[in-house]
Amino acid sequence: MPEKVFSLTGLSFRFPEEEEKTLTDLSFSVLRGERLVLTGPSGCGKSTLLYLLNRLYPDNCDGLVDGEMELFGKPANDYVPGEINHRIATVFQDPDSQFCMPTVEEELAFTLENLQTPFAQMEPRITAVLERTGLAQLRNTIIQSLSGGTKQRVATACALIMDPEVLLLDEPLSHLDPFTAKQFVHWLEELQQASNLTIVAVEHRLDIWGSFFGREIQLGCDGRITADQNFTPRHPFTFLKRPSAAQPATALCAKELSVTIKDKPLLAPLAFSVRRGEVVIIAGPNGSGKSTLIKSLCGIFEKTTGTVESDRIGYVPQSPEYLFLTQSVQQEVAFSGASTQTELDGLMASLRLEEIREAHPFAVSHGQKRRVAIAAMLADKRPVLLMDEPTSGQDAAALLELFDLIDQRSKEGASFLIVTHDMEFAAGVADSLLLIKDGKMTGKFQAYEVWCNEELLAMHHLLAPKGVARPAESFA
Amino acid sequence: MLKSWKLKEAVLMSLFAVVFGIVYLLFVHVSNIWAAVIGPLAYEWMFGIWFIVSIICMYIIRKPGAAFLSETMAATIEVLIGNAVGPRLILSGVIQGLGAEAVFALTRYQHFNILVLMLAGIGSAVFSFVYGYFVSGYAALDPSFVALMFTIRVLSGAIIAGIGGKYIGDALLATGSLRGYAIARAKKGDVNA
Amino acid sequence: MHDMNPSVKFIVITASMLVIAFFFNPWTPLIFWLGIILLQLTMSRTKWKLWLLFMLPFSIGAFGYLWTTIVFGAETGGAIIWSFAGIDVTEEQWARALSLAFRVMAFSTLSLLFAFTTDPVRFIMSLMQQLKLPPKLAYGVMVGYQFLPVMKDEFTQIQQAQRLRGAETKKYSWQQLLSMRRILIPMLAGAVRKAERSAFAMEARGFTGEPRSAFYHPIQIDRTDWLMSGIFLILLLTSCIGGSWLG
Repeated sequence: MPEKVFSLTGLSFRFPEEEEKTLTDLSFSVLRGERLVLTGPSGCGKSTLLYLLNRLYPDNCDGLVDGEMELFGKPANDYVPGEINHRIATVFQDPDSQFCMPTVEEELAFTLENLQTPFAQMEPRITAVLERTGLAQLRNTIIQSLSGGTKQRVATACALIMDPEVLLLDEPLSHLDPFTAKQFVHWLEELQQASNLTIVAVEHRLDIWGSFFGREIQLGCDGRITADQNFTPRHPFTFLKRPSAAQPATALCAKELSVTIKDKPLLAPLAFSVRRGEVVIIAGPNGSGKSTLIKSLCGIFEKTTGTVESDRIGYVPQSPEYLFLTQSVQQEVAFSGASTQTELDGLMASLRLEEIREAHPFAVSHGQKRRVAIAAMLADKRPVLLMDEPTSGQDAAALLELFDLIDQRSKEGASFLIVTHDMEFAAGVADSLLLIKDGKMTGKFQAYEVWCNEELLAMHHLLAPKGVARPAESFA
Repeated sequence: MLKSWKLKEAVLMSLFAVVFGIVYLLFVHVSNIWAAVIGPLAYEWMFGIWFIVSIICMYIIRKPGAAFLSETMAATIEVLIGNAVGPRLILSGVIQGLGAEAVFALTRYQHFNILVLMLAGIGSAVFSFVYGYFVSGYAALDPSFVALMFTIRVLSGAIIAGIGGKYIGDALLATGSLRGYAIARAKKGDVNA
Repeated sequence: MHDMNPSVKFIVITASMLVIAFFFNPWTPLIFWLGIILLQLTMSRTKWKLWLLFMLPFSIGAFGYLWTTIVFGAETGGAIIWSFAGIDVTEEQWARALSLAFRVMAFSTLSLLFAFTTDPVRFIMSLMQQLKLPPKLAYGVMVGYQFLPVMKDEFTQIQQAQRLRGAETKKYSWQQLLSMRRILIPMLAGAVRKAERSAFAMEARGFTGEPRSAFYHPIQIDRTDWLMSGIFLILLLTSCIGGSWLG
């Protein structure tokens, strides 16, 4: 019988600001070498549980704990701060806020200094972990210049340099595109097999993990365990293909559009048009000019050449709160003054904003923020909507909500241009795909043309959506 | 003193300092142009933007040292990002921070109403002025001109830093992002507001 | 200069400024100013074009200082050397005005010397290693420094997004200051989030804020530091004594 790494008995947890318990009566143990995933709807306390396991909580939030928790057979409270963290290492979800030093080497050294490692051992340990993780060539690279996927690898290397017995993963894929995410999982699997680490992860994008996990614990909305079972690989969440709502009338027509900033050509001249009610997905590798295209269409970036003839264009950034100017949802929607009260009431009703009418636009959920932003754009009579990465970091429920929103609005004549890497989502929602690579438009295609064109997909770092006109492939 | 501080609070002060550092840089360009015309007076009105970091941080974190440490960190970061005023900025940061901290200490860190915040802004203004009087040689100037500078700086401290600090702190609280900080708990009545 | 210990350099430079602030004759800051330029010319690798660009606003500021000190200067005795538009300028006033203007120039040059020859990361690490700055603060500052480009970018993005919605840019500074709130709130809310995430990431890697026992990049104080401090001291003494004597 392998040793128990974690052992929880009747564990409950409550934030001091809240009346309700976030976690209620959890009892389970984790054995050495297990690969466990915690699942459940957003806000069910998965991450909170993870933070209890690595002792970030309760100290950091003054939370209230009931019940017993043992780490390596010793009560959790008997460990002094920091003592447990080199045995239980953690990789978090946001690749941009996990580092405090400029270069990879310095970041690794920071970790070793935390552990009071003697000077003579530092250099060999850094070299060893870089070898092990295959990051040796990045040793002196500036971390902030790396891509999201590579940053997550560096964060993992920083965790592994401590020689931990357990690795906790807090939605490590949520900010990566599917292509990069799949590579990351593959890389992690090789590392895990070589070292027999115990892994506990919180994750909602289970399909990308293939058969990585061995066990699954499901939490319900009330913070109780609803299932503790063997893990079964998941198929990605697929969306029903919505019928096209495109009308004959043209909503947007770009000709010879190009953007050059500070003598750097970001976008070579391109031309395309979009019909009313059409949903266009803009896809391509990172840094290929997708955001530049969107920003030049809505006038944030100046066009160097070309013309855009269009109905008025609205823009919803990846963080919708960047748009917010007022202190209540209602004022936010009414801000432009371009719609009558009846029109506003209609919009509020159809976008389900009435119950949060008085709320602060920053204090509502991410999905609600996006609805507020879209309502504000429509109220400002901007029926062509540009959305920058709306799918990034969203769980299935949120994606479904987004899907319905687009479906609904396009039926009423709004056109959408959406930047996303999520091809399952695209397969459901798109009428057409606009593919970009290295600042050049490859072309605007009918969606079904792209799904069966291997070459086109690979060239733009896209994974074919599962379940669309092709047999489901096994996990590589 | 630092024992009771959470790391996230220290990092918060640092990131706030970065935000206001960016804002400050915007306005310093404007004032540089005026400086040729009206001399050191050009900078006086902006001092409040400097002091605001310490006031907001104290208003949110409410622990001894919040005003002093945040102002010092703000100055250090300003030096790191290449502010040409350089190392002496850190010293001014320390002194301005002490000015605000002194006011909060006098209230024993129990009261954070608008009056106290304005007084803290004035505290920073007075401390920084005394320091500036010495280092920049205001002694050579006509007393009435010095008095004018002093008045503008005190007003800037009270209005921009004091009132502005409370305004921004409250606006931020309304967004619901300050859960887990002293200010959010105070609103629920656990601590004196 | 580049190899000098940043903390030692910081202390030497700050101390020099405080000493110079005691002198109101024009010669002391002038000699000191020229001395600093000489030091930088001979002992640093400076990009002088950039240096001139940075010096420009300071020179303008110094000029502003010069004339305000003349016009609004404290009443002093002494012979009137020239009159202009009804303002009598005494010898004493002129000397003081020059002194303050040179002081601005000397301090600015000194600051630029520091800025041009000091690596920001080494400076913080040295503050922690030599001056015992608590690690919680030192690494807090480091996180802020790492986030600077990200947040600058965020600032522009928010500005652009809000302009699209018709939040017009205001003409006067005071109006800009008021409309700052709209940009500040999303920025600060984002900062709160980033602060918590970064702090958690650091603590999850065993950071407790305790002083560290060993450093991967130890920053030492060596012969160069003593030598350079000596040179600064000589320059400081020369300008103080020489200045007083000439004045």
